Amino acid sequence: MPVQKILLYPHPILKKMCHPVAAIDRSITGLLQDLLDTMHAGPGSVGVAAPQIGVTLRVCVVDVSASRNGKENNHGLLQMINPEITKRQGAAIMREGCMSVPDYTGDVERATEITIRFMDGDGIHHEIEASGFEAVAIQHEMDHLDGMLFLDRIASLKTGLFRRKSYK
Amino acid sequence: MSECRKENLAHFAVTVISKDRPGIVADISEVLFRLGCNLEDSSCTMLGGDFAMILIISHEKPFTKARLGDEFKLLHERTGLTVSVRALSEAEICPVKEEGELCLISVYGSDQPGIVYRVTKELAERKINIADLNTKLIGTKEEPVYVLMLEAALPDGMSVDDTAAVLEKLKKELSVEISVRVITPVSL
Repeated sequence: MPVQKILLYPHPILKKMCHPVAAIDRSITGLLQDLLDTMHAGPGSVGVAAPQIGVTLRVCVVDVSASRNGKENNHGLLQMINPEITKRQGAAIMREGCMSVPDYTGDVERATEITIRFMDGDGIHHEIEASGFEAVAIQHEMDHLDGMLFLDRIASLKTGLFRRKSYK
Repeated sequence: MSECRKENLAHFAVTVISKDRPGIVADISEVLFRLGCNLEDSSCTMLGGDFAMILIISHEKPFTKARLGDEFKLLHERTGLTVSVRALSEAEICPVKEEGELCLISVYGSDQPGIVYRVTKELAERKINIADLNTKLIGTKEEPVYVLMLEAALPDGMSVDDTAAVLEKLKKELSVEISVRVITPVSL
């Protein structure tokens, strides 16, 4: 499957609430593969959500196992259809960047431990507990499914939204 | 022409420091809007009892600093606000990209002269680049506590631990607490 182009804000799809997947068919398995290929093509990317490639369905992929922040604590590749967070605990601030809002970062507060239910590409239901960076990545991708960007969650432009600029 | 900005734009740095009151931002931005200026970047905050604004603005050429000066003179006569304008050269307007590991350094302790100087001097000598710096005086009138927080980009080869070690000796000299922690931006 081809690597898909990542939509950049202000593309309107990025602000849409995505629809649940009704049934797993070839189009959904194809979508999952597109998301995986696109994630692997993005330098340092640990997740991609369907709306980022123009599909308004509640599907995303996350894999933090190769990243410095997540390699010690992860579930490997997660292919999530209709994911739902059923429990959140703790809070921590991390500086997040997003492929759909390139060149900018923002300090975002997220739950440090979450429980997620989802269905994989084979239609099998899972419930897992995630923590640390993996939990942050999952929450970030799931925000995309609700039409939210990290810009919706930052409290202050002063704390790191913009890259430093030097006016010498 | 700089490669990082649109062609045919004149850039200016505008600074305003005034006793705080409602309407300062509206007063300044109304002038800029009327002149057709773009507000490219800004930082506005309370410093003590004053409201401070730093703005980077642009306007299509031809446009002069004198034109801005005339408008702000009229604003001064009307509102008392004093505005300073400096024209920026092409070399000044290009953003410098972050390089190296980012860290957050917090320093706090009994108020005394020289905390900012001593800390930033140590950083400057090691080519550590400060991207953001804020200070506040907290505590009580009898026992004021000075708080300094800054964000810095470390040069290649320098770690957060190295930076903490550099600042360690200042802790005793200044009788302050100093902590250094990494800020790792994550790409999602």
